[in-house]
This record gives sequence, C-alpha cells and structure tokens, in this order.
Amino acid sequence: MTTSFTQQLSRNVRRHGGNVLLILPFMALFAVFAVWPVLRSAYLSFTDYHATEAPIWVGWSNYVELFGDERFYCALWNTLSYMALVSVLAVVLGLILAAAFGSQRRTHQWARIAFFLPSVAGGVGVISVWKWLANSESYGLFNTVRSWFGLDPVRFLGDPAWSQPILIMMAVWAAMGYNMVIFVAGMRNIPAELYEAAALDGATPTQRFFHITLPMLRPTILYVLVTGMIAAFQVFYEPYILFGSIDSVGGPLDSALMLVTYLFDHGFRQLNLGYASAVAWVLTTILFVLTMINMRIGRASEEV
Amino acid sequence: MPLMPKEKVSRWWWAAKLPLFILVVSVLVPYYWMTIGAFKTVPELVQQPPTFVVEHPTTQNFYDPGFVDGEDRPEHWAGIFQRESEGWGFVHYYLNSLGITVFVTLLSLLAASLVAFVLTKRPFPGSRFLFNLLLASMMVPWEVTIIPNFITVADLGWINHYEALMIPGLAKAFVVFYFRQMMLSLSGDIIDAAIIDGAGTLRIWWSIVLPIIRPGIAAIGIPVAIGEWNNFLWPLLVINDSEHMTLPLALGKLAGNLTFDPQSAAVLMAASLAVSLPAVIAFLLFQRQFIDGLTAGASKG
Repeated sequence: MTTSFTQQLSRNVRRHGGNVLLILPFMALFAVFAVWPVLRSAYLSFTDYHATEAPIWVGWSNYVELFGDERFYCALWNTLSYMALVSVLAVVLGLILAAAFGSQRRTHQWARIAFFLPSVAGGVGVISVWKWLANSESYGLFNTVRSWFGLDPVRFLGDPAWSQPILIMMAVWAAMGYNMVIFVAGMRNIPAELYEAAALDGATPTQRFFHITLPMLRPTILYVLVTGMIAAFQVFYEPYILFGSIDSVGGPLDSALMLVTYLFDHGFRQLNLGYASAVAWVLTTILFVLTMINMRIGRASEEV
Repeated sequence: MPLMPKEKVSRWWWAAKLPLFILVVSVLVPYYWMTIGAFKTVPELVQQPPTFVVEHPTTQNFYDPGFVDGEDRPEHWAGIFQRESEGWGFVHYYLNSLGITVFVTLLSLLAASLVAFVLTKRPFPGSRFLFNLLLASMMVPWEVTIIPNFITVADLGWINHYEALMIPGLAKAFVVFYFRQMMLSLSGDIIDAAIIDGAGTLRIWWSIVLPIIRPGIAAIGIPVAIGEWNNFLWPLLVINDSEHMTLPLALGKLAGNLTFDPQSAAVLMAASLAVSLPAVIAFLLFQRQFIDGLTAGASKG
C-alpha cells in the first residue's frame, strides 16, 4: 500500500514535475495577488482596520454601518442610474451607427475608425480634455456652443444637476463606437438570403431592420449590454478626473459619487480598509445579481 | 444597412443621415480641441470666444526655451518636457509608462501562454482544478482584490518602487483563458511527434506552440497593452513620488489643477496629445489587429 503510493507519487513527479515547475512562477503570483486577496478581503470586511495596527474583529458592524449610510445610497443610486442610461444609450446609438456606417465603402470605413478612436486613445488624457471642454468659463467649448443658441453659460462641473449628464455623455461617447464595431461584425454574419427574400416580398429597409437585423442580433446585443453594464457599474477614473479635488471625490453635493469612488474615499483617503472591503463585497454581490438577472433574461428570450 | 441590395437612395435617407455625420464630426471634437489646444499660447487658450484654428502656434507647451526655473517670467512657463521630474519632465514619465507597458505585456503573455499550454496539452493531477480556479478568479471584480493587494505591496516595501507597477499584474487569468480557447483547436499530433523526437515542454512551447498562436498573441496583446498604458487607479495608490510616476498619473495630477490655472490647461492639452498620439498612430497602422483584439470577447459570445 505504502510502496504503491510512493511509487505512484515518484512516477507522477518524474512525469509531471518539470511541467509543474514551469507554471509555478505564474501560479505563485496568481496565488499571492488573485486568490489570497479574495480570502483576506472577506476577512478584512469583518474587521476594523486602518493599516497601522492589527485588524480588530467587529463582526457585521461594517455592513450594518454601510447599509445605514445615506452617502452609500447616494452612490448606489448614482451608479445604477448611470449604468442603466450609459449601457442602453450606447447600445441604441451603436445599433444606429452600425446600420448607418456598416458598409465596405471608404467613407464608412473612415467613419468607423473615427467612432472607434475613443476605445484606443481613451483614458485619462482624453478625459482631461473633456474637463477642459466642460469648463464653466465661456472659452469652454460646450458653453461656446450654448452661446451660439443664445443660452447662458452653465457651470457643468459645479452644478449638481449637470454632473450626471456630463458623465453619461462622456461614457456614451466612448462606448458607442466600440458597440458599433461589434454590431457591424454581427450584421455581416446574418445570411444575405434573408434580406433578399424580404426585399422580394416588398419589405422596406426599416421593416427589414426591425424584423431581420434586430432579432438575429439579439445574442450580440445582450452580450454588449451586459458587458457594458458591468463596465459602467465599476466606473472610477472618469468621475475622479472630472470631479476629484483635495477635499472631495464626489463632485458638488456628491452628485458624481459612484460606488467605486465611495470605496476609494473610505479605503484610500480615510484608510478605513475594513469598511472599504465591506463596500467591495456589497459591490461584488450587486454585480453578481445583475449578471444572473441578465443571464436569466437572455435564456428566457432565447426560448421564445 | 450592410447587406442592403443597391436600390434608389431617397433624399429622405440622406436627411436622416445628416445627424449621423454631425455625430462623426463631434466624436472627433475632443481630439481636435486637444490638438489645437496643445499649440495655443495661454492667452489664446483662454480667449473668449475661443479660436477654432490656432492663430499663434507655439511649441511652448512642450518645451519653452525662455523658461528659467525659479524666475518669474509671465510670458513663459514650463513645458511638459521641463516639468516636475528633474530636468526630463514628461520624457521620464514616458519612459516609465513605456517600460512598464512593454514589460508587463510581454511577460504576462509569455507566462500565460505557457500556463495555457501546460494545462491543456500536458495535464497533470490537479491541473483541472487549477484551471477552474483561474476561471473562477475572472468572476471576482478587481475592487475585491485591490485593497489586500495594496496592503501586500506596502508590506513588501514596494510603495514608490517599480516592482509595485510591474509584479502584481503579471498573472492574468483572462489571458490564460484566451490562449486555452486557441489551443483546444490545436492538433495533438504535431505535439506528440515532437515528444517522440525528445523535445521537452519548454521546447515545444517555444518552437511549435508560440508560432502557431501568433495571431492570438497580437489580438490579446493589444488590449493588455492599452490597459497597462492607461492604468490609473493602481499607480495612484502605490506611487506618489515623481520619479516613478506614469503618464496617466502625471496627467491626472495636472488635470486636478485645471480649474484654477490656465497654464496647467495649456500644458495638459500638450500632455494629453503626447499620451494619445502613440496609441492613435499604432491604431491607424494596425487597424484590423486593434479592432479584432479589442472586440475579441464578443465574437465568442
């Protein structure tokens, strides 16, 4: 019994030892920076921990405090409404753009490149430019355009009513071209015979779009919608660049406060790492529920 | 519509398309504004109403020969290549960002392809469990791991060290998953033949697997590289000295001053141009690879 076990073990080591050794560096890093942190974060969320002294076990009190915090609900509401509007608008505009600029024509190809540009050269650089465009002085481009229509300048970054519209506009601007490219690829996969048959039957382009293109694209649309929602839910650097300052991260009256900004505020500005870990887990739970609902809807719509 | 047979294009169709062409123009506006802003002088930048074509082009925002550190000259200010970090300014941040992006992209792709190869084609007891663990980790959002990782990096003494930017991001589960999908379709015969010839795993990976999956390396390498190039939150947490700062971090710092100081805005436009330009040029040269790479997840979905 023992001999056969050790024999087997030594055979396994001889056969697989080298291969295991090859992936060991990766797996070690993966364990330290991807697996262990999940367990540690779960533990920390039940502690009071400020990075200087050892964590103190406090049970559920971080979660209780969190669900009693008005600012959390503010961040939650901001994030959910932002997520819904951004993902839906980016899908609708992406579909319209794909229908309008989907052909192999030169002009259409260049238009697609233009719309895809934010996916490549996005990031902090262009977001900073947006901050300048939205400048409250009349040399800010948005206010200049408003003045052409005889409208008074607006403090886009200082008026709570404008925080969300600016953030949503920026996110839709960045995402619609990406969605468009995916939809164009999806439309290419729809069999041409369907359109030909429909055209013979006298269907108008609009009818063909709603009765052939849209139903055939449904899985792609759902995928784009779900990934868009997940990305929008985790938005951080856009509001941080636009509204972050020395004394706040949420913009005027916390109108630009998102869940991840809220986490950042507690975790890394106030170094309340236990509480921030609890925020991270609540955020994860919401994300998980959203994904599940979306998968359910996806399955249901496939059965119809 | 892409596959619409040629038919009479009505005037209404064009009327409906007009807003779309306006949309094409407006999508480029931030880039245009950034480009002209980078070459405007500060007085022209804050002129009311703004100019749409640069009237007095200047390269001052990049490098101002008239600027002397410590002297107050209202006509001159430090360009991006004269700022912050001793003497070098943004060149230093450029090199930091470039070095980290190249290092992390290359090494994480090599490591992930090796892991994917071993897990799919050279399985061992427990390899299935490891793969499932990798898969499960992809469901965990980064918000969960970022706090413990910050603590780990602080405990290792890596705050304000390049290690903090280079090491934690090397083990990328989603890249392993991507390569595994590619390798599933890879025929086992050629590998078996190599084994009979006495080639080891490392040798087979380097001379057979890597050449075969080369298109995939480009496709997944582009989003990985763009992600590293634009990474903002993690460097914000672990770096707070100018020596180790990356471009996005330096930009973020400038953008923070924007509301108070038009000079920062002028320099910021130059800096934004400098950070966007490499990506734009690479994109225009390799359009197909960029679009395939960045939309890689969708085609499988």
